[in-house]
Amino acid sequence: MLKPIRCALLAMILAGATGVAAAAADDPPAVKAAPDAAKEALRKTIAAAAKEGDISYWDAVIQPTTNNALAAGFRKHYGLPESFKVSYSLSATGALVTRVDQELSAGRVTIDVVGIASLPWVHEKVRAGHVMQYASPQYPAYQAAFDKGLGLDGYFAFNGAYVFVPMWSTERLQFKGDSYKDVLGAVPAGRITIGDATKSVTYLATYMAHRELLGIDFFKKLAEMKPVLVLRSELIANQLITGQYQLAWSGMPTRAYQFNQKGGKLKFVLPKEGVVLLPQAQFITAKAPHPNAAKLWVDYVLSDEGQRIIVNGEAMISGRSGFKSPLPEYAPPIDSLNVVKMDWAKISTADMNKAREEWVSLFNP
Amino acid sequence: MTHAPLPSSAARCAARLRALRSPQGFLPAMAVAIGVVLILSPFLATVVRSLLTGEEGKLGFGLGNFIGMFGNKRFWEAAAMTALMGAGATALSCLFGLGLAWIVARTDLPGRAGFDTLNLIPFFLSPFVGAISWTYLAAPNVGLLNQVIAAAGGPADLLNIYSVGGVIWVLALFYTPYVYLFVISPMRRMDPALEDAARAHGAGFWLTLRYVTAPLMMPALMSGALVVFVTSAGLFDVPLALASPHGIKTIPTAVFQVVQYPSDYGLAAAIGVMVMTVTVVITLMQRSYLSKRSFATVTGKGYRPRIVQLGRWKIAALGLEILYVGGGVVLPMAALVMVALSPLWTGKPDPSTFTLGNFEFVLFSHDLARRAMVNSLIVASIGATLGVVIGTLQSYYLQRGRSRLRTVMDAFLSLPIGIPGIILGLGFLVIALRTPLYSTLWIILIAYIARFLPFSTRGISAMLVSLSTDLEESARAGGATWLQTMRMVVLPLIRPAIVAAWLMLFVIFVRELGATILLYAQGTETISVAMVIMGEMSFGYVAALAVIQALLLVLAFGLFRLTRSAFLEA
Repeated sequence: MLKPIRCALLAMILAGATGVAAAAADDPPAVKAAPDAAKEALRKTIAAAAKEGDISYWDAVIQPTTNNALAAGFRKHYGLPESFKVSYSLSATGALVTRVDQELSAGRVTIDVVGIASLPWVHEKVRAGHVMQYASPQYPAYQAAFDKGLGLDGYFAFNGAYVFVPMWSTERLQFKGDSYKDVLGAVPAGRITIGDATKSVTYLATYMAHRELLGIDFFKKLAEMKPVLVLRSELIANQLITGQYQLAWSGMPTRAYQFNQKGGKLKFVLPKEGVVLLPQAQFITAKAPHPNAAKLWVDYVLSDEGQRIIVNGEAMISGRSGFKSPLPEYAPPIDSLNVVKMDWAKISTADMNKAREEWVSLFNP
Repeated sequence: MTHAPLPSSAARCAARLRALRSPQGFLPAMAVAIGVVLILSPFLATVVRSLLTGEEGKLGFGLGNFIGMFGNKRFWEAAAMTALMGAGATALSCLFGLGLAWIVARTDLPGRAGFDTLNLIPFFLSPFVGAISWTYLAAPNVGLLNQVIAAAGGPADLLNIYSVGGVIWVLALFYTPYVYLFVISPMRRMDPALEDAARAHGAGFWLTLRYVTAPLMMPALMSGALVVFVTSAGLFDVPLALASPHGIKTIPTAVFQVVQYPSDYGLAAAIGVMVMTVTVVITLMQRSYLSKRSFATVTGKGYRPRIVQLGRWKIAALGLEILYVGGGVVLPMAALVMVALSPLWTGKPDPSTFTLGNFEFVLFSHDLARRAMVNSLIVASIGATLGVVIGTLQSYYLQRGRSRLRTVMDAFLSLPIGIPGIILGLGFLVIALRTPLYSTLWIILIAYIARFLPFSTRGISAMLVSLSTDLEESARAGGATWLQTMRMVVLPLIRPAIVAAWLMLFVIFVRELGATILLYAQGTETISVAMVIMGEMSFGYVAALAVIQALLLVLAFGLFRLTRSAFLEA
């Protein structure tokens, strides 16, 4: 009499065990890799993200092809369907700040995640309550960066950092300098470009740091070279390749890498005085329309896999502890750089406006 | 003899109300009301915002923005530069337009019919694309034309497209068809007796041209010149591509910059109010000028003017045609195609490396480009359809209506033609910021219709005015309702104008940038916006997208010519 009951119980236990095993087998890589205590919460977040079906992400550097790779890896990592949409926009920093501010003042936030190298502005947004508080499980790997003031624990880390340094094409110019001062007089007036600081907060931030480092007189002499104002780093690089301009004050190693992949001969120098590191803060907006997807996106981009995609595609400098750069020539380890010290958190919008006015008076855009 | 009693004012009001309730009264009046709202709302929003000063959230009324604007040296520099570029483009467009029209209408140059078509192609192309393609041709040191000059022993920076002259050149190329269209019609219909009389009294070719032909052309030329001045000075696209990178500011680019971080909407609105006021005054002056002139010497009697035998001057005439068609169409398109086919543009075309990779990326791999193409087609199709429906009804109101406001409305509804796109876009942005319309495709659609509706209304009006009312009256007498009369009589007769208006709006909407640049959001980018964004990324991508846009526009142009409508000349 008890036998059928025992058989039924056994069958139920087996079925339950099979179900659990099947569920575990169906888990996406992210859940499999998560600690047991975090698995269930992660499953719920993934389910909620899948329901949201979309994420809106704006960035000032990452190229569409790199984003395509990130989006594909992201979907696979969390087992999201192909129909899950990663809406991505690449924008100049000034335009991105304008757009975020506009959405905040309109009370209609459409952007989930922002990646921008303007720490003073991001700190301002944190103080105003416009940045979502989120303790990403990836943040412990960024503790060293937080300690250096290149992020804010609980709010944002950076998805990659970059620098603006003198750059040229070896097919057009033989520049041998190793100092910012060597740029002065290196090419005829009008054959050098400079990043337009009226439209980009990163060029402006770089100017502010360079101004402290090199002094105003240096920039007066630079202005005498009649530099042409260019906004996008891609265009700066392409204009060096065509020979339209011979030297770029605001060259970006990221672009040198990308254009050299296609046959360009771009070269840059990390001047001995030091470089201004521009960490691209990645944060979630407080009123993000897709908060679960946004959290997963931030986690993925900051993960080892995400960082590898970004460095391979963009040659950006990673802030992740223990991450080994696959492209040390273009994206050297952060600790190997002579970084100009700046306390970004203490710089206000008013400071930036004052610096912009000074820049305008020098370069007259 | 008895007189019918005059209707009382109450009876007149009741009659008007009854008329308004009927479709014949209601629909055209509604279309006019929509037009009025579309013009007034951005204008009033801009005026109100210009009077608000202080930080966001602590705004108060005051004149601070205007004081700041008038006291700003850079504003005056931008205003002077805008006027200079507008005047330069107008002068060069008039030279080109008049010359080309004369060659086509009055000379024996072989292939005139073909040139007549070619001269109009730039009208349908995007000035922004033209500006981009001219950077490949005439950038100092690396432009293809400069390379040819350098190879011939000349300086490699002889041509500099990033200059005031460069902006004027590109603007003139794209605005010449406006002058051409204004003057070619009276040139074709000119009474030859007037010139014959001058010749009979001993005047030579140049004297006849100066004292007879030129004065006869003056009203049409002045009209064309005013339109070119107002629209070219207000254009955002070309200065953005050619002047901004070299610190040359114009009012439209200054407005764009002021709206960027740190945004000063108050100052931008003050500039907007100033510009709108100036353009409205210029537009009204133009109407006033035209209303006082007599066109009696250029009548519709179907004269066939004397054809001038060019003789050895044929070479010069051909040279002018080649210069214009080459500069406006052939060279820019050839440069675009070469850059689009190059995997990495190095300044020199290398056919051995040509690839379709840029097209593949733009068409299949880049979300932005794909959604921009879809958005442009959606906005252009829906916008052109709405524009034609509203424009037809407005035309009916203006040409068949009985309202005493018709003349005033005719002038008022034409005002957006002169208002720069970016200023109108700013007005709609100020409105949209506080509404659900913000960052939607709808606000772009509304801005487009508001800005370009007059093109539709004026084109259809020109055909409607030439249509006798006898047919409509016969249909009504035969028992047809107004709607039936419209559907079965009026609309079929004005169909060429409707088709042409639709195609023209479609073309304009596909290439429009100024009104969009402040209104787009993620997911609502148009082709022109995508080109601005991609223009900052890769020469190849933007060239590929530009080629696609140009093909779309040329296709629309071909369809336009097939309609064989006199729309443009109207």
